[in-house]
Amino acid sequence: MSDWMIELVDVTKRYGNIVANDHVTLRIRRGELMTLLGPSGCGKTTALRCITGQNIPDEGRVLIDGKDVTDVPTHRRELGMVFQNFALFPHMTVFENVEFPLMIRGMNKAERAAMVKDALKLVRLEGYEKHYPRQLSGGQQQRVGLARALVYRPKVLLLDEPLSNLDAKLREEMRFEIKDLQKRLGITAVYVTHDQEEALALSDRVAVMNKGCVQQVGTPAEIYDHPATKFVADFIGLSDFIPAKVVAVESERVVLDVQGERIAVPPVESVHVGLDVLLFIRPNDVRLRAAEGDRRPNEVAGTIAKSTYLGDKFDYRVDVQGVEIRVQTHGAERFENGQAVYVHLPYERCRIILESLICAVR
Amino acid sequence: MKTLRQYLKALLNAKKLLAYTFLLCFFLWVTTPFLMILLKSVGRNWFGKLWLPPEFTLDWYTWAITVTNIPEVLRNTLVIAGIAVGISTLIAIPTGWALGRRRIPGKEAIMSTILLPRMIPPIAYALGVAQIFYRLHLIDTHIGVAIAHVAICAPYAILVLSSTFEGLDERVLEAASVCGANNLRTFFHITLPLVMPGILSSIIFTFTTSYNEFTLTLMTYGPKTITLPVRTYLAVGEGYWEVTSALSMILIIPSLFVLFMIQRQVQPEKLVGGFKGV
Repeated sequence: MSDWMIELVDVTKRYGNIVANDHVTLRIRRGELMTLLGPSGCGKTTALRCITGQNIPDEGRVLIDGKDVTDVPTHRRELGMVFQNFALFPHMTVFENVEFPLMIRGMNKAERAAMVKDALKLVRLEGYEKHYPRQLSGGQQQRVGLARALVYRPKVLLLDEPLSNLDAKLREEMRFEIKDLQKRLGITAVYVTHDQEEALALSDRVAVMNKGCVQQVGTPAEIYDHPATKFVADFIGLSDFIPAKVVAVESERVVLDVQGERIAVPPVESVHVGLDVLLFIRPNDVRLRAAEGDRRPNEVAGTIAKSTYLGDKFDYRVDVQGVEIRVQTHGAERFENGQAVYVHLPYERCRIILESLICAVR
Repeated sequence: MKTLRQYLKALLNAKKLLAYTFLLCFFLWVTTPFLMILLKSVGRNWFGKLWLPPEFTLDWYTWAITVTNIPEVLRNTLVIAGIAVGISTLIAIPTGWALGRRRIPGKEAIMSTILLPRMIPPIAYALGVAQIFYRLHLIDTHIGVAIAHVAICAPYAILVLSSTFEGLDERVLEAASVCGANNLRTFFHITLPLVMPGILSSIIFTFTTSYNEFTLTLMTYGPKTITLPVRTYLAVGEGYWEVTSALSMILIIPSLFVLFMIQRQVQPEKLVGGFKGV
């Protein structure tokens, strides 16, 4: 038995001249929830449609549970899927909607009724059997969608932006519900979204996509703390990118030249002296203090260019010899516009990003 | 009593009063001619300034049925309407599907062309049709009259069905296939039930159009294919107003029946456009 439930191997899909998926390779483990995250047009939906069989890849193979299904039509792939617009059958009741996959599979009536009952119980919609979709709220409709997808216990659950049509509060609630269900059933799930918060909250692993390529695959923490490319860093959370040049490569650290100052950062492979790189750090990892006394290691001198009060934090733009660094502080200490400050870039929070790296995973 | 008072209060509300007045005017405007015909068809010796006929009778209906050979005429009308509905629907399903679901260059131009027979004066169009039909020996055949009717029935059907098919949500069909249904089962379990209200409404529209059609029939009918509207018109010429009125009432009955069916069976708000996804 293969470790992987779903494998996209070197999948390329073109629409005319547009390459929607450019040699995408993705492997999804049994029982894990993987999110495909990216802006619209990044190819995440195309990748999902390759898994469902609604797209046939131009190149590459698709495997589900170790079997090559590249040429298997959608209706024989044994999938469960939840749609952004719910896609319930409007002429059928809740019961009939959930029963549909079982009816198609030719199960007998008693068996069907029992399984539908279980599925509706799972999504807490008992008592709504006779309602039509249009009589339900958005959240309820999506629960029906979820029940319909899960009712025959498919190997794989696919979710295509299932919460985008719901309001913010419900979205958060449903997020946990989906995660909880997925873990309880131990089902392998692929979740497509453009919402980074949703991706971080839900996923076991995240695949960040852009321009048809997979940029990075990793746990939410890996993606957030060690973004592989500028795009990933930028797409998830706030980022500072400070142009820098490598001046020394040592075993314990790499030393960068930032506007004439020396900044030590954790070592990475594939850098050499003289290379132009970006120093990446999250604005809330940067420390500020008033410019008094000597500068300590990894501090640069700057002046406050702009400050914004955000309620629970302050947002500063610090001018460091023409380079703007964004800083967010929770501290009580306030800095005024034009004030001279020392900007501390903590060694362990700094990352090196190669700007030339467009597709991290090939 | 409280509810009655509330009701009267609401009724006296100026805005509502205006609305009800308009509604009443509209109602009278639509129904008065029917009322006239109804009274005429059951009245005897109703002349001059009398508000109501002095005597009531059903003789005129007997006359209408026997003298004007109603069973034969009704059969013609229904056969022609049936053929016209059949051909129109057969044309409209693929055409509507193409117009509603596929990107076609010049879609607007095609739509205008389809609607053309409805835009130009019917008598002009009918004249042209008649000239062609004389050469093709289609005059005074059921199929001929029906084909002439198709020219104005099909545009309705295409219009209704293209919007029905357009409203069919692709993702619902995809959902069915993910659920395990192949194309055939998706068609029977999902597509067909979803477009059925649209097809029904198209059939009802085309049926009533053909059933009521006068101008095109007048130019293409013959002794063997005389229809109810034409027969009624001819009866006017024969000068028996009472018999003509009775004929008109007979003509109206199936239309009322269809209207009743629309109200009861298919909710009109669902007819045009069919279901719109969620």
